[in-house]
Amino acid sequence: MKRLVEGNEAVFLGALKAGATFFAGYPITPSSEILALAAEHAARDHGFKFIQSEDEIAAANAIIGASLAGAKSFTATSGPGFSLVQEAIGYAHQAEVPTVFVNVQRVGPATGMPTMPAQQDILQTKYGSSGDYYPLVFYPNSVEECYRYAITAFNAAEESMSPVILLSDAFIGHLNEVVDLDAIEVKVVPRSRPPLGTGKRSFSGLAHDEEGNPRTADAEVYRKWLSKVKARHEEVAARYSDFKFKGNTSSDTLIISYGIVSRVIAPLDSEFALFRPIRIFPMLGPELQHYAQGYKKIVVIEANDGQYGCLVERELKREVIQVPLLGGRISLGLAKKGLSEKLGREVH
Amino acid sequence: MFKELLKLERFPTIWCPGCGIGQIMIQLAMVMDELGLDHTNCTVISGIGCTGRLAGYMNMDSVYTLHGRTLPVAEAVKLVNPSLKVIVVSGDGDLASIGGNHLLHAVRRNPDLTVLCNNNQVYGLTGGHAGPTTPRDTRTVSSPAGSPYDPVNLQNLMKAGAKYFYAKTTVYHQVHLRHCIKEAIAWPGFAFVDITSQCIENHGRRLGFNSAYEMLLHFRKTYKRAPDGAEILGPDEIGIVRKG
Ligand SMILES: Cc1ncc(C[n+]2csc(CCOP(=O)(O)OP(=O)(O)O)c2C)c(N)n1
Ligand code: SF4
Repeated sequence: MKRLVEGNEAVFLGALKAGATFFAGYPITPSSEILALAAEHAARDHGFKFIQSEDEIAAANAIIGASLAGAKSFTATSGPGFSLVQEAIGYAHQAEVPTVFVNVQRVGPATGMPTMPAQQDILQTKYGSSGDYYPLVFYPNSVEECYRYAITAFNAAEESMSPVILLSDAFIGHLNEVVDLDAIEVKVVPRSRPPLGTGKRSFSGLAHDEEGNPRTADAEVYRKWLSKVKARHEEVAARYSDFKFKGNTSSDTLIISYGIVSRVIAPLDSEFALFRPIRIFPMLGPELQHYAQGYKKIVVIEANDGQYGCLVERELKREVIQVPLLGGRISLGLAKKGLSEKLGREVH
Repeated sequence: MFKELLKLERFPTIWCPGCGIGQIMIQLAMVMDELGLDHTNCTVISGIGCTGRLAGYMNMDSVYTLHGRTLPVAEAVKLVNPSLKVIVVSGDGDLASIGGNHLLHAVRRNPDLTVLCNNNQVYGLTGGHAGPTTPRDTRTVSSPAGSPYDPVNLQNLMKAGAKYFYAKTTVYHQVHLRHCIKEAIAWPGFAFVDITSQCIENHGRRLGFNSAYEMLLHFRKTYKRAPDGAEILGPDEIGIVRKG
């Protein structure tokens, strides 16, 4: 049935569709609707478990416990809350725990501008916890995609045995669009690991060997483990190399943008070629290289001070023109103004 | 046999000879054996610290969580699978300092968990730093002039809940320790067992004890059984206070 759905609601409904039965969270704008929907759902369906945690740290660790106990689990947070869950994200990578973290971004740092959209957690998403790890991250730009990629996030979590991050922002999270979610067909990957209480396994944040024995001073065992995990993540990522490309043969410039910004600057397609990664991490290296080839100039427009742009530059090994949209004002006008300044000509 | 509940192939443990944690593990395994708890119906969850390593020696599914995060993990496990017996074993620093906020809220929510707190009055693993249970004036690596604060009153913290179970015991009083673990496991709610034990290497020697044995004798001398039905345990008393 077609109806009006909000981005945050679509994320929640996608999680349910994917088989999630556990949510823990701590209220924070602009992600709180997801928590409220989970609370309502738990009141109706006793198979669905909900905890309003004492803080985001508790919520992040609760979804890890729930996953180990056999539930598909998730949390949703924003801004400072996303900082608080970083240690647990690292733990879930080391202990190989599938779960989903939703981050509805707002302007920071710290309390910043709580109701205003931003894309300022891109590098934190990739590098926020201690150690080396290879997160899978998706960033939808519509209500329908919020639903689709919530399901994808749960699937990829089970396949990669890791915490997958679904990025959104205050704009996408609160966007209302008419969609028919029932008509969307997405496969659901079943739970991959037997729950606690069925074996003699040791789950831990310690470096470990194949049998789960702690190996905290053996570089060889660690390197083997890390390369195995990296390969697994790359293999899973390859199943979800999702992006949108709109070429423009009359333009010498390719604009790369994602999430809310890609939505706002869509009308620039008459003047520029556009590339939008949906799988933000691991980066779409080969795809970026392929589509960037024919263009003299590469521009990255994003709602932060160049976080993805610097990674694109590294990936393409060529200079990237950066157009940051800061302070929660994400508009076509500002994008054009920034482009005009950086390109040295009037962009209409 | 309680030994079947331990991963003997991982022995020797990482613990120093004479450490009190081994005793807690043995007594826990003996109680589990008696109650028929094993890998099919029970899980052990621990935090970071010397005590935290206990989980990995249990011959069942176990989780060695982040520092201080045993309770959120354990609460979630119990919520997802209420038929599973969930036993938390961790250090006093882990539970009462970095995990203090979770402890406060576990008291409020009263989940059906058994918590064994290895109270060695110090941060053992990091080398003997003062912690939330370190007595006033005690010298540690991080309180060279003596700890300036009174320790947290775990009994009062537990009693902040409308329903509570708080047991105080020591590794010297093994029969009592076993009794407390058993009662805690049987308690239908949040049951906290505060186990005074010895960290000889990173604490006891600095206090002037020559061996773990001397520390155990000190526990024997210091602690007396509280009268049955006592509603409050004095500082030198062992026993159980509860309200259901
Ligand atoms: C977030 C974080 N901070 C600090 C540490 C370092 N650390 C490891 S164990 C520990 C304290 C352990 O003390 P306690 O919980 O009393 O356990 P014990 O070693 O005495 O058994 C600390 C501070 C850590 N692992 N993680
Ligand atoms: S440092 Fe202390 S607490 Fe840790 S194993 Fe040694 S004696 Fe036990």
